[in-house]
Amino acid sequence: MVNFEIPNFVPALPEIFVLTMACVILIFDLFIKDNDRIVTFVLAIGTLVGAMMLTISLSETGRVLTFNDMFVSDPMGNVLKVFIYLVTAVVFIYSRQYLKQRGLFKGEYFVLGLFGVLGMMVMVSAHSMLTLYMGLELLSLSLYAMVAFQRDSLSATEAAMKYFVLGALASGMLLYGMSMLYGVAGTLDIAGISAVVAQSPNNIILLLGLAFVVVGLAFKLGAVPFHMWVPDVYQGAPTPVTMYIGAAPKIAAFAMVMRLLVEGLGDLHGHWQTMLVVLAILSIVIGNVVAIAQTNLKRMLAYSTISHVGFILLGILAGTENGYSASMFYVVVYALTSMGAFGMIIVLSRAGFEADNIDDFKGLNERSPWLAAMMMILMFSMAGVPPTVGFYAKLSVLQSIVQVDLVWLAVTAVVFSVVGAFYYLRIIKTMYFDKPEDTAKIEAGMDMRIVISLNSLGMLALGIFPAALMQWCIVVM
Amino acid sequence: MESVIFYLFSAVLVASSLAVITVRNPVHAVLFLVLAFFTCAAIWLMMEAEFLAITLVLVYVGAVMVLFLFVVMMLDINISVLREGFVKNAYVGVPVALIVLLELIAVVGRKEFGLEQMPAPVRHAADYSNTKELGRVLYTDYVYAFELAAVVLVVAIIAAIILTMRRRPNTKVQNIGEQVAVRRDDRVRIVKMASEKKNDGSAT
Amino acid sequence: MISLSHFLVLGAILFCIGVAGIFLNRKNVIVLLMAIELMLLAVNMNFVAFSYFLSDLSGQVFVFFILTVAAAEAAIGLAILVVWFRNRRTINVEQLDTLKG
Repeated sequence: MVNFEIPNFVPALPEIFVLTMACVILIFDLFIKDNDRIVTFVLAIGTLVGAMMLTISLSETGRVLTFNDMFVSDPMGNVLKVFIYLVTAVVFIYSRQYLKQRGLFKGEYFVLGLFGVLGMMVMVSAHSMLTLYMGLELLSLSLYAMVAFQRDSLSATEAAMKYFVLGALASGMLLYGMSMLYGVAGTLDIAGISAVVAQSPNNIILLLGLAFVVVGLAFKLGAVPFHMWVPDVYQGAPTPVTMYIGAAPKIAAFAMVMRLLVEGLGDLHGHWQTMLVVLAILSIVIGNVVAIAQTNLKRMLAYSTISHVGFILLGILAGTENGYSASMFYVVVYALTSMGAFGMIIVLSRAGFEADNIDDFKGLNERSPWLAAMMMILMFSMAGVPPTVGFYAKLSVLQSIVQVDLVWLAVTAVVFSVVGAFYYLRIIKTMYFDKPEDTAKIEAGMDMRIVISLNSLGMLALGIFPAALMQWCIVVM
Repeated sequence: MESVIFYLFSAVLVASSLAVITVRNPVHAVLFLVLAFFTCAAIWLMMEAEFLAITLVLVYVGAVMVLFLFVVMMLDINISVLREGFVKNAYVGVPVALIVLLELIAVVGRKEFGLEQMPAPVRHAADYSNTKELGRVLYTDYVYAFELAAVVLVVAIIAAIILTMRRRPNTKVQNIGEQVAVRRDDRVRIVKMASEKKNDGSAT
Repeated sequence: MISLSHFLVLGAILFCIGVAGIFLNRKNVIVLLMAIELMLLAVNMNFVAFSYFLSDLSGQVFVFFILTVAAAEAAIGLAILVVWFRNRRTINVEQLDTLKG
């Protein structure tokens, strides 16, 4: 007979809640008229708020495994999940106006967004290669569809096509690596793999598996030399979708790296450190240098993402708890900042006009001094200028790699961050010292202005008081 | 005997996969992929993965490849344009692919995976059911992943519909509700008219 | 007799054919999608072989899920292809060139 114990569902309540609500919204959306679509939007935000409350209420329990050890609920996962909800909710708020102006304000955008969130939650809570893969695919499939969402736009569909082919290639690489790990370990369980790796850390099959897994992860993160999809997808996708891709999935990708490399293959640290050093250095160098040549802001931010991914990898490759918490801090801060930068594009856009060229920011100070100031804070935070939080994030990552005696790496990273600061400062120069070409009134509603202001001022506040968030990142490691 | 079967199917599998990426006509490529899936299913049968082998044929050959064929046929592709090319990148690509392949073979073809290190397990008895065993774990130990698979399929359905469904204003559709609710008065009108004089029997 | 290596080498060959198909093909996006299917087939071959030689069912379960996800992926990939074709009127890989910089 089958002996089967009913698993403990309580740790997975947030996942169950998001799934149920996504299905309810999907069906509910069929029955409401286009004019009342705002209800779907409110429900989607409500779902994220509800999930956040559930996750917070479960956060006292510590580390719990359930579903035959395929699901783990631990403090790190809970903190990352809370930020995933927060970031996604803000992305939804930013998206509303843009989608409405372009006739894209449909329920499916929010439903796919919520399914993507579910995929990210599954990744964050994965304790088996199987669930890690399922979560990743759930997220990726939602993202492919969201990129192609504006289906009469050539650039969006082309971006979706590229994203799809390279994403599937990355999944294939990751799976090939996982098959090798399974072959050596004989189990899909992360803890089981970790136990086998501890016994035979120099097994060449393990190393082959590791190499493929790292390539797959690098593709998904968008680290050089596996970054070619990033600029095209960022530029081609509708701006709210770019914002969605650029923010929360980075947090989930960080969790995936932590689960696979640190928890599963932690004893191979010496081997994957070298690989990550190469990826990180190339990402920081190429991301920052190529970004200078861009005229399209979305494309420039894509290259800036690549360089930030390099920094995230730096913290992880340090291989110390300090490094992991610095990386976690960095990824959360990056998600929040990039959201603001894309949000500014949406604020300045209007029906039939995309403010996605750097020239569209000319003389923003004359048109709206407040928005220009907000953008300046965001750019400072990305460049890592004190007192914004970006400075603190970069500092803690660099400290963690200096602690493990990789000073040359830290120096290179600093040098290219300074190079990178040039293109962020160029935007500030454009806003403050150039004459405006576009004198149309900025149409953004009050809600958008409030959200973007909170977003930017939040970056400033976090920069002045980083201790609370940093403490969180340290405690959960 | 087993070796003969293995090498035969492997040869067909490798040849048909090579054909998939080299033939110019996409319809032929789809058919070669079908062949590749079939032979792969046969090889899986040798490894007692009966359920997966049958699933591969049913799901892949039966559904996915038919979907591919539909799309190939539906898109009005200009094959003559697609006939050129491919050779351009081959000078770099093929050697690189071969080197990677040799490296992979050098690793996975080692003694560690030879018969002495990992002997083939004893074949199960005839009453062993692979499907039953898989089903047993699928709905118990792996129930979480199983639910996730359901969600992935839902996302695929939603995505395929929002991307490709177009509302055509002048398509003709049935409205069943209206058809059922129809009354006699909507369809026939009985008019009274004076009967005509009978002539020689032929209708007007 | 056939050893695990035989199956793994076969998997490696299929995988390389799949990856080469993606990088070499410059003309036809549908063939790209088929090369992806080949890659996944190679991965499945590895899992099935390991599962058999380790006498452990979890590899076969993983294959079951890869097949499911790959079917979903193929559906979305073809949907994106159809939408792109409607906009561009071609499936030539070299025409994926609007976005550059």
